Amino acid sequence: MIERSTVPTPFATPPAPGAPRSATLPTPAERILPNGLRVIAFAQRSGPKALGVPLIAAALIVRGGGASETESEAGLCALTASLLTTGTTKATALEIAQQIDALGARLDASSGFDASVVSVNATTPVFRDAFALFRELQEPAFAPAEVERVRTKSIGDLGLTYSNPSALARLAANRVAYGASPYGHPLAGTAETLAGLTRDKIAAFHERWYRPDNAVLVIGGDIVPDEAFALVNAVFGDWRSPASALPAHLPAPAPPAAAKVVVIDKPDAGRTAIVAGRVAIARNSPDYYAGTVATAVLSGYSGRLNQEIRVKRGLSYGAGAQLVTRREPGMFLASTLVDHTKVPEAVGVVLETLRGLAQAPVAAAELVPRKETVTGAFYRGIETLDGIAATLGELALYDVPLAELGQYIARIAAIGPADVQRFAQTTIAADPFIVLVGNAKHFGDAIRAAHPGAVFIPYDELDLNRADLT
Amino acid sequence: MTGSAPASLRAQIALTPIDFTDRTLPNGLRVLLVEDHRVPSVAINVGYRVGGKDDPPGRSGFAHLFEHLMFKGTANTAPETMDRLTEDVGGYNNAFTAEDITNYYEVVPSNHLQTLLWAEADRLAALRITQAHFVTEREVVIGEYDQRILAEPYGMLDEIVNREAYTLHPYKRGVIGDPQNLNAATLDDVVQFHATYYRPDNAVLVVVGDFDPDQANAWIDRYFGAIPQPAGSVPRITLVEPPQTAERTIGYRASNVPLPAIDYAYHIPAANTPDAAALDLAETILGAGKSSRLYRSLVYGKQLATSAYARADLREHPGLFEFSAILSRGSDVADARAALDAEIARLQAEAVGSSELDRAKTQIASSFVRGRQTYNGIALSLVRAAVERSDPGAVNTDLGRYLAVSAADVQRVAATYLRDANRTVVEYLPE
Repeated sequence: MIERSTVPTPFATPPAPGAPRSATLPTPAERILPNGLRVIAFAQRSGPKALGVPLIAAALIVRGGGASETESEAGLCALTASLLTTGTTKATALEIAQQIDALGARLDASSGFDASVVSVNATTPVFRDAFALFRELQEPAFAPAEVERVRTKSIGDLGLTYSNPSALARLAANRVAYGASPYGHPLAGTAETLAGLTRDKIAAFHERWYRPDNAVLVIGGDIVPDEAFALVNAVFGDWRSPASALPAHLPAPAPPAAAKVVVIDKPDAGRTAIVAGRVAIARNSPDYYAGTVATAVLSGYSGRLNQEIRVKRGLSYGAGAQLVTRREPGMFLASTLVDHTKVPEAVGVVLETLRGLAQAPVAAAELVPRKETVTGAFYRGIETLDGIAATLGELALYDVPLAELGQYIARIAAIGPADVQRFAQTTIAADPFIVLVGNAKHFGDAIRAAHPGAVFIPYDELDLNRADLT
Repeated sequence: MTGSAPASLRAQIALTPIDFTDRTLPNGLRVLLVEDHRVPSVAINVGYRVGGKDDPPGRSGFAHLFEHLMFKGTANTAPETMDRLTEDVGGYNNAFTAEDITNYYEVVPSNHLQTLLWAEADRLAALRITQAHFVTEREVVIGEYDQRILAEPYGMLDEIVNREAYTLHPYKRGVIGDPQNLNAATLDDVVQFHATYYRPDNAVLVVVGDFDPDQANAWIDRYFGAIPQPAGSVPRITLVEPPQTAERTIGYRASNVPLPAIDYAYHIPAANTPDAAALDLAETILGAGKSSRLYRSLVYGKQLATSAYARADLREHPGLFEFSAILSRGSDVADARAALDAEIARLQAEAVGSSELDRAKTQIASSFVRGRQTYNGIALSLVRAAVERSDPGAVNTDLGRYLAVSAADVQRVAATYLRDANRTVVEYLPE
């Protein structure tokens, strides 16, 4: 071993972190336009020692997503969103791309189970032009050639998803958690459902859900709220909802079924994906912050799952957890990827780790840094205008008061060991389901012995179109 | 909405200057600080003026290997301490090696600034280089070579372009490293390399974000100021690539080539020379997005290529202006070359129209603006300007330089540098 230099004394031990510094977060303002569009505006902080950036961002959040499509239409909302930037009644896909280039703008569309989101950002001098183009996207052409192109690409992408054990395990976990209820089917659809999505169905989905009285528009950055409201009114004021009543949203999903173990036997999988999870909480649940902290205790490199699975036992390259919150209860998921032969041991360690969080309170020395990972990630998320718009958009989508943006840090700080333990008892450790995707030859017998009710499904018989997967 | 702003006004963005302090410690470390309180976080960048071009002869890949070894612990810390100090508090960290710079960066909540300043100073002063870490990281770097250069389609293209375009200058060796060279290296070579380049007078520290400058400066003095300045000076590459006088064409065949690719590389001046801005504009006009000339001609119009790019690869020493295209199925290399040549000839023969020039300026200005949204974006622009161009103030003057470029400037640099005798052509073909 070679050490380059004598070590000066100040270096021997790391200094401790200081007390967290306070932050002034943007204060959003809101209005509802006569056509029903809810508009949320925020100004970026700028001034001495806060560099102003001449950029404006906007996001249109439409309350219509994968949960608004039927089983046989799975993938409809995703296809619709993908097609929004591929042509309008006035401009072709190439013309739109060229207009975006000329403005130096960014334009994007995406979708989830609860909403579809279209976003734009551009520098201040050209933002009005970019915003006009953004408005034009709400009049899509759904040209047949573009529909076919996007459909072909979407079907092609499925092959990639299915070849990845972790991605496939998540799709299967969705079915195990939700069955035939609206969060159960694959958001991206299946080859069968995508093939049946005609241009007319896409246009009808758009007509039904993309309407001002079903949308929230968040706008902010280098623009004061009054100016933003005036701009949105000028550009989106003529957007009309159809005369028909707004369709109702999904009913709450069925209560979680009894514990289930599902094994998808995929002999060509390189390793086995393990997912353990439960239907958890909605975004507007009072338990949101306790759940966020509890998940952070389990997740990340220094979180319990990775410590137990990777650091202590070397069973995997990594393990983590995720809390997905939605309008209706979303999912808690713990996941890892292991050698086929390590599956029985790793499943045991995952379940034991989840139970451990329910059995004893987390010590302060562990809880404080795990909470820091939550607040640090929050601050990184709101560093950009797109990030602030997305955060406010999520609050609005789930009917959470916008003031929670400014209260986030305090709410995380208020979570104590008892809150984490209670959340773990009620929502993480109680009867989790388990989904395994891998070569069952190496672990099937051990899993059958430990979980007599385990259901084994050969990959060739797996059918994601069906609630029971076969 | 109707009534667009007049085209000529679109790019006229008023950017507030980045307000940075600039001082040099007695040991030679340059320190640039930007105080900003938009969010309670902080970005730390430490850029070393060493990169692929500084690899010792026969030791190609050393700068890159070193980047890996900087994560393997010090006399005071365990391996991967940087990950723990950042990821475990909601931040992140990483590093990259380029031809002229090796840069290390962290973003953390602002109350962790002191800890990260300590950790960066610690790995400059007290890095622990063991035989075991040297061997494992060498394997990782060679694995990266296997993955990125050998396994990826067209992975060898950049290596070939650099190797063939330069006859003398060490830019010919690329950055990622040569497995044979790396395997021949000893622990002593590595320690020597570290002693030569990892010294305070060869580094720039940039801190951007939510901190008190007096407090930050005191911490910097305490941790970085304690590191002695070694005797002697840092060696610099003084080799000058002789002017190219005749076109060179190289045909390369490999097994993992789905479709033929072509690449043109022209010698251009260094990043801190007056023509750099016009060359960047030429890159945008030719190659950025679906409005670009290459996309409209080769990809969309004639459908000779599935993708076509231009890149002004401006470096500390004279760099390369590259064109690259991956051909569409069934297209002929000669046809694609003729179409590329026609676009180059057009840029030389005709002045770019005002709306096209304005579009390019708008695209460049927009990426400038977006880069300023994050503390790490600001820190990265400062560290690159300071290390690669010895001019951190360029972060505040570059946009003006771009906006001042005229159509005649673009035409002139195209005529001056995009000449056949100044280019190397690589045809990258299936076996």
